[in-house]
Amino acid sequence: MKHTLSRRALCISTAILSLAVTVPGLSGLALAADGTIKLGIVAPMSGPNARYGAFSMRGAELAVKEINDAGGVDGQKIELYSADSQGTPVEGVSATRRLIDEDEVDYVIGDVSSSVTLAMQPVAEDAEVLLLNAASSNPRITYAAGVGGFKWTYRNYPTDENRAFVVAKYAAEQRGFTKFAVLSVDSDYGRSAIEFTKKYLPEFKGEILTEDYYKEGEVDFRSVLAKIRDSGAQAILMYGLADTTPIVARQMVELGLAGKVTLVGNGEFNTEKTINSAPTALEGAVEAAAWLPAWDSPESKAFVEKFTTTYDEAPNNHAYVHWDTVRLLAQAIHEAGGNDREKVREALSKIKYKSPVGEVTFDDHNQARLPMILLQIENGKPAIKGAYTAEIQYPAQ
Amino acid sequence: MFSTVIEQIVNGIVTGSVYAIVAVGMTMIFGVLRAINFAHGEYYMLGTFGAWFAVDYLGLSYEASIIVGVLSTIIVAYVVGRLVMQRMVGAPAEAGVLATLGIALVLQNTVILVFGGGYKFFSGGYIEPLSVLGFSLAAQRILILVVCLLVFIGLELMVTYSRMGKSMRAVSQNVECCEVVGIDVPKVVLHTFILGAALAALSGVLTAPVNVSVYGGMGELITFKTLPIIIMGGLGNVRGTFFAAMILGIAESLVATYVGLQFRDTVGFATLILMLMWRPYGLFSTQARF
Repeated sequence: MKHTLSRRALCISTAILSLAVTVPGLSGLALAADGTIKLGIVAPMSGPNARYGAFSMRGAELAVKEINDAGGVDGQKIELYSADSQGTPVEGVSATRRLIDEDEVDYVIGDVSSSVTLAMQPVAEDAEVLLLNAASSNPRITYAAGVGGFKWTYRNYPTDENRAFVVAKYAAEQRGFTKFAVLSVDSDYGRSAIEFTKKYLPEFKGEILTEDYYKEGEVDFRSVLAKIRDSGAQAILMYGLADTTPIVARQMVELGLAGKVTLVGNGEFNTEKTINSAPTALEGAVEAAAWLPAWDSPESKAFVEKFTTTYDEAPNNHAYVHWDTVRLLAQAIHEAGGNDREKVREALSKIKYKSPVGEVTFDDHNQARLPMILLQIENGKPAIKGAYTAEIQYPAQ
Repeated sequence: MFSTVIEQIVNGIVTGSVYAIVAVGMTMIFGVLRAINFAHGEYYMLGTFGAWFAVDYLGLSYEASIIVGVLSTIIVAYVVGRLVMQRMVGAPAEAGVLATLGIALVLQNTVILVFGGGYKFFSGGYIEPLSVLGFSLAAQRILILVVCLLVFIGLELMVTYSRMGKSMRAVSQNVECCEVVGIDVPKVVLHTFILGAALAALSGVLTAPVNVSVYGGMGELITFKTLPIIIMGGLGNVRGTFFAAMILGIAESLVATYVGLQFRDTVGFATLILMLMWRPYGLFSTQARF
């Protein structure tokens, strides 16, 4: 008797738990009204990159709200759908399929991770759905787009090639670094940034002394930081994840590297949260970013203010690029004269879009011409050192 | 060069201490239940989340958060122990695998639903570096090492002298005989399970300050690192687990330094394969359970 009772209790608690799991999923369902523009966002909503996903989604939501409040695109409202890529290619592909097959979206913005975007490209191409990338920086994405193959992929984000060049040049010429250690994330983003750094480093007489890549979720950097300390490197080339930067910075303090070895690269070195986690380790750090909240333009400042009042938190780079890309898409739909994918695609290729960081046009690889903003942490605050654009040299077909 | 090697060994021992505290709980649970607890890393995660919640939401000190983290995990472990683990006595091995994998999913996703999937920032702990034998080490890591030694001394004493400890050893050797002589097997199972989960939680709370980030999926990697350790140590062997954890910690540290950080996680899995091929009964081939 006692046994049946506790078994029943187990059944009931399992039922409650499974309900708890499904209910938030239900609230995500939205009924599509006629004449709306369906836009899907693929982003890492869980997993190690979840913070990027949350910022991306909020940026897109804010842009959609602004556009809809102003009457939509020529009277048509934008309806937003989201799907979780978990930051992995497998989940990213099924998230994209879900948006296209079940939600029947016409446009997809995604993903943050380069590895995921690369996997999404063929899916969007097959379905002839416009994939507009807003935050992946691996050059291969647009090497393979436009005249390179995928007609439906566009990217409104500067690439690692541009970034690697700008960072290497600044680190060598302005800071006088010649000895580098590599500590980047083991992904298409982290590895390709280093690959391009190696292409440009000899121009600036720089050499790489040690080379290590960390897995997403790695928390113990003591061994590798001790090795870097002993190697005599002046700077660590880090193209990493924002969530890992505070861990590395703290362990740099622990090992006495703070103030002796400088972080250069990209990985949200400039947010208040990161700097506060280990101020001494991040002082002097050099970062190249597509955008940062301190960027001096009226639209950009207005965005920061609106985002901060709406979400009670300052936006990051991912929030901005998604906000900006939704606006870019809205202008393309307006110029195409309606919600027709084929025409919108043609409109994008010819567009002259005025973004807060400058005018955006696309090259024949569907890659936006965008500047990289270079900044340095000085007295615990990011200081902007300039914005650089470099035309990409595509490999011969 | 020589001092680098020593420093890496010290790093490895600290990492090994974290693994050891988690793994010893898992190996003891295996001892009494003959089931691998695939949800073990989740208790490590729960402990860390409990402590993070105490520091961030309740504004408690780090010391108090250790208690909150471990206590909240004990409550969850009690519920899971009563509802699930006690039923595993005498159940086929696949039942244990399914049940614990299921619990892992439920615990992990409940935490993600409640607190969100993003990384949280753990701000408590003693992170100021100290200089020990010429190496710079956060005070927290020394604390981890000391706690690890105390835990193992305590466990050795418990399984040797206390009635509960002796019952645990007895249950791990022969369940039927224990029932005949009047040992309350479900109670022993429940106590062992709660003890194991609490140790995992303790390990999580102690590591949080140096690992900085707290997130729902953090337990998975710990579970998979623990597997090779408990097999190396000999399933159910407390002392063996300690040495196996140290070996893995040191090996990982040396590989991260001399081969490359990207190969660090390979060490555990390679060890697992080699052990299963050549010494499936563990490095320390005594058949003793505790």
